[in-house]
Amino acid sequence: MDEKIAIRVEGLTRYYGDLLAVDHISFEVQRGEIFGFLGPNGAGKTTTVRMLTTLLEPTEGKAYIHAYDVVRQPYEAKLQLSIVPETSNVYDELSAWDNLIFSSRLYRVPIDEAHRRAERLLDAFGLGDRKHTKVHDFSKGMKRRLTIAMALIHQPKVLFLDEPTTGLDVQSAILIKALVRELNAAGTTIFMTTHQIEEANELCDRVAIINQGRIAAIDTPERLKAAFQSVQSVEVAFDRLEPTEGEQLRKLPGVNTVEKRGDKMRLYTSDPPQVLSEVIRFAEQHRLKMLSLNTFGPSLEEVFLRVTGEQVK
Amino acid sequence: MTGLLRRVRDESSQAWAITVKDIRVYYLTPPMIMFGLLMPFFMFFSFSVKREMTPGASLARLLALITFFTASSAGPVIIPLERRTGTLDRLLAAPLSTTTLLVAKSLVGIIFGIGVAMLPLLASVLIIGVNLQDAPLLIVSMVLSSCAFSALGLLFASYPTQSPGNIMMPSTLLRWPLLFISGIFIPLEEMSSWARALSFLSPLTYAQDLMIHATLGAGVQAVWFNLAILFLSFGVFLYAALRLQNWSRRLGY
Repeated sequence: MDEKIAIRVEGLTRYYGDLLAVDHISFEVQRGEIFGFLGPNGAGKTTTVRMLTTLLEPTEGKAYIHAYDVVRQPYEAKLQLSIVPETSNVYDELSAWDNLIFSSRLYRVPIDEAHRRAERLLDAFGLGDRKHTKVHDFSKGMKRRLTIAMALIHQPKVLFLDEPTTGLDVQSAILIKALVRELNAAGTTIFMTTHQIEEANELCDRVAIINQGRIAAIDTPERLKAAFQSVQSVEVAFDRLEPTEGEQLRKLPGVNTVEKRGDKMRLYTSDPPQVLSEVIRFAEQHRLKMLSLNTFGPSLEEVFLRVTGEQVK
Repeated sequence: MTGLLRRVRDESSQAWAITVKDIRVYYLTPPMIMFGLLMPFFMFFSFSVKREMTPGASLARLLALITFFTASSAGPVIIPLERRTGTLDRLLAAPLSTTTLLVAKSLVGIIFGIGVAMLPLLASVLIIGVNLQDAPLLIVSMVLSSCAFSALGLLFASYPTQSPGNIMMPSTLLRWPLLFISGIFIPLEEMSSWARALSFLSPLTYAQDLMIHATLGAGVQAVWFNLAILFLSFGVFLYAALRLQNWSRRLGY
């Protein structure tokens, strides 16, 4: 197997009874990559992560972590990876320090080294001054940070993050994103599931979009956007706009759809220059003053909605 | 050191870390106190009222009751709770085998069972002055009984569910018949032949007979037979728990 590959997935499939949760998905993640796994709720993201981290047996297919088969060589595969699940799974009755040391013992980190790493991680995650506080007194964001710190105590080669910032305060989310970048810069491969498109756009080298258990698209965020030229848009704000005039905007040549966004109108098109000139002509004809006029490439959110089958209005 | 020996050493250390963590996290939780600490004493005193028993016979029955309820209560409390909070996934994702994990969990029940049983044992010997006929045998029987009953608790706990209630209630209901047919409340020698035949189905029968051997110096069945059955029960329950745990994981629990 190629030594540059951190995760290889071949036809991975999982049924829950008759329900097909993951349907013959295949992809590869390079070592040192941040790979985003996007999808709506129930798309199969968490099931995929559970299979890749040996927590769930696949019904069919194979998956390898650093060339170790997760079904046949789970012990070796587990040594390479760590998982941060969607719900923080820390021990509320123990202190932050005890949680970290317990985690280090599970991965057999020598005790002196474990203490050094625990100190460093607690400081890096902003928990240094609360290290002897029992975790049940922690906020959701603090528990999340501790969960990630516990996953890092044995310095895994591949880190699985399941919805790492969902439901967190802005400060914790920013801290976690910065840490993801730092870890990646230090060589850790990151596999993260998210339904926050902007987060994936901001962090990931490549993203896969999963929908109804199947991979619908997989590429770099920019290439995915480029593949969906029809969701480029022109956004215009007028000083006033009658409802009848709004309707007329929809009929301008080159416009596919129009979406009202607050005091602005967004006109989706595959030909922004044509629509720009039409909008300027429209403003002159109706004696409207343009307060702003911008063009936008397709956002990852729009790409996501397209590939998951929902229409951009 | 060979790879296998190193792995055994490593997994033993991991198992002990899990056991110590569970003791710190779960011993003082209300279900453990209720089902593991209070219930055997309540049962013993409610069934002992107005019954004439020698101190040695009372001690043997109390110790059997304690190891039975206390050791078997840990698994059904801890595993479903850990499934619900997601902390079991932390253990399952760590580089250790499911067998090691179950051994660690069974140790929690074993230590709990022996620890609680030591309280009346020490009180009986030091305060009441109960004379033990075979103290080493009593210790061995407490350890082996705790092993068997802790593994029984794990068997209940490995049923695929995330709700402790779905395991605690059925496991309590299943333990009652094992208790009633065991000879704890009606001595084996006073049982009818069919009742005694039925009593052989309960591992508690062998535990309490072994403890009567140790405290009074005379039981109904041979010591070696009781020891062998308890040892076998431990192995069978642990193996069945392992199979059930693997089945639960295949279902996604």
